[in-house]
Amino acid sequence: MAATTFNGSVATIKTHGYIGNSALHQDFGNSSLQFSTKGFKIDLGLSGKKHWSRKRGSCLIQASFYQATTVSDEVSTPDSIKVEPIKKSKEAALILIRHGESLWNEKNLFTGCVDVPLTRKGVEEAIEAGKRISNIPVDMIYTSALIRAQMTAMLAMTQHRRKKVPTVLHNESEQAESWSQNFSQETEKQCIPVVTAWQLNERMYGELQGLNKQETADKYGKEQVHEWRRSYDIPPPNGESLEMCAERAVAYFKEHIEPQLQAGKNVMIAAHGNSLRSIIMYLDKLTSQEVISLELSTGIPMLYIVKEEKYIRRGSPAAPSEASVYAYTKNLARYRQKLDEMVH
Amino acid sequence: MAAMASHQSIASLHSHGCIGSSTLHQECGNVSMKLMRRGFKLEIEPTKREGYCSRKRSCGSIQASSSSLQNSASSPILTPLTGTKSDPSKKSSEAALILIRHGESLWNEKNLFTGCVDVPLTKKGVEEAVEAGKMISNIPIDMIYTSSLIRAQMTAMLAMTQHRRKKVPIVMHDENEQAKAWSQIFSEETKKQCIPVVTAWQLNERMYGELQGLNKQETADKYGKEQVHEWRRSYDIPPPNGESLEMCAERAVPYFKDQIEPQLQEGKNVMIAAHGNSLRSIIMYLDKLTSQEVISLELSTGIPMLYIVKEEKYIRRGSLAAPTEAGVYAYTKNLAKYRQKLDEMLH
Repeated sequence: MAATTFNGSVATIKTHGYIGNSALHQDFGNSSLQFSTKGFKIDLGLSGKKHWSRKRGSCLIQASFYQATTVSDEVSTPDSIKVEPIKKSKEAALILIRHGESLWNEKNLFTGCVDVPLTRKGVEEAIEAGKRISNIPVDMIYTSALIRAQMTAMLAMTQHRRKKVPTVLHNESEQAESWSQNFSQETEKQCIPVVTAWQLNERMYGELQGLNKQETADKYGKEQVHEWRRSYDIPPPNGESLEMCAERAVAYFKEHIEPQLQAGKNVMIAAHGNSLRSIIMYLDKLTSQEVISLELSTGIPMLYIVKEEKYIRRGSPAAPSEASVYAYTKNLARYRQKLDEMVH
Repeated sequence: MAAMASHQSIASLHSHGCIGSSTLHQECGNVSMKLMRRGFKLEIEPTKREGYCSRKRSCGSIQASSSSLQNSASSPILTPLTGTKSDPSKKSSEAALILIRHGESLWNEKNLFTGCVDVPLTKKGVEEAVEAGKMISNIPIDMIYTSSLIRAQMTAMLAMTQHRRKKVPIVMHDENEQAKAWSQIFSEETKKQCIPVVTAWQLNERMYGELQGLNKQETADKYGKEQVHEWRRSYDIPPPNGESLEMCAERAVPYFKDQIEPQLQEGKNVMIAAHGNSLRSIIMYLDKLTSQEVISLELSTGIPMLYIVKEEKYIRRGSLAAPTEAGVYAYTKNLAKYRQKLDEMLH
């Protein structure tokens, strides 16, 4: 039983570990992470799309999430674990959203760091993503310096139920900083700071930026282009390799975002395929081989629960119209209940 | 007849000028401007929303004035006069200038003073931007200018998702060397299909100083209604550590003159997506308004305002009707040709 669920999400493993399999339970801390690296399924395709990073059989998403309810009890109320009252472990939500279709995606051009906006479809994807996370608390938002990620974040937040107000922070100059000051304490409490960072930008594609994908294949040869696109450490001419992208994206995550999560702040990151892959590589401790075959769906938010310096992937929250089961941790469930009770 | 028509848009005036009133015709250049100042109605409202009049005068209906424009549909003054033997090299370029004020932001909804705090659009603001885009979907655009605030940038990008021409807006980055180098495009073909988007703090909303973030009602309770009204509606009295409308104009208009005007003079069609006060400042310059006139000027959110720029003159063509509305919007010959080209494009 444990073997077949091996291929499923982390949550499933934990459940079985919790219920009674002592070998799994003992190595609880380590095993779950190991399993996740080998058997992860990044795109939990509740919407019908399914991407597999490995060609393995997959468990039903419904099953694995349903069983996760038992896990959450353990995660949030450590009755079985004697923890000192002072060291209350903070739990934080981390949401990753990859932006949707941009105008150059539509035209099949290499985009990289060229600042191209969303298409109508990309706008809709952002709004749909927002509906999925409308019940997940968000205290801080990080995006790249590119408009397609920023728009995705802001469009998604138009759907959020809590009604806190995202406010983009400006520190590009003294004037920008002082001009954007908020003079009301009350209002500040209702703000969600939005930090824009070039370190979260898409991988810079060098001299391929703006080129038609087919033309480039004709020019350089299909294999060379495939190598640039899909290798870990070979950059296109004057561009970044995935490795180089990861170097600046993960460093930024560790320095700026991780401390927020450790402090219990709920964070949303709206960014790009490669910068998010880099971060997931760090969160899930993937190898370079694993990360290059990792695909992250556009517009489908990926949720992690951060607890005691561990990153626990919870998959994608369901869209309001989907008939699936998404299990909340106790904290998330309480938050949702609070939203339901709010007179609005 | 001419007197009544004076209250209406300038387009009507031109047509009447053309038709025969010799006095009007002769001083066409000056008179039209003066009449415009006294009798303009900035929001020509084909929609059901109330029109704003800067003066309490009766306003002509848009249909009437547009249809009178329709009578002289080719608008001879605006198109090159066939009778004039002009030097072929000195072809006068005609350019379109579109002004769009962004729609509802999250702090508008909460009735808080926003100023330069970078607050995004609400669902309604998003819809307003998309609707605005439908109204300009047939007007050529070669360059876009926005402020450095996300609500204006989103408005521009959302509006452009509706544009028929399918050129691609690309945001320019020059905040540092790396940003510039990283955003480079390496295909000439692709570059030709780009509409550069320039973001400029000079087009930001008026900075509201220590009122930013405060509730409008609370501020009135705190400082007194008259004081707050003075800060909000005077020309040159700034709120504490903030900008007056005059100060806002002092940085918005020079930016327009330095950066945007040359583009228009070259015949480039420009869209500016910005804010109430920065756009008012620019309109003050375009229409040569007095400070008294500008402070009672209201620009509707999400309704694009079109100017035709010709021979260094700014001719207000009014606001654009939504595609579903039964109004009449008369195009200049160039705009009509552009629209026809769009219709013929295989897409």
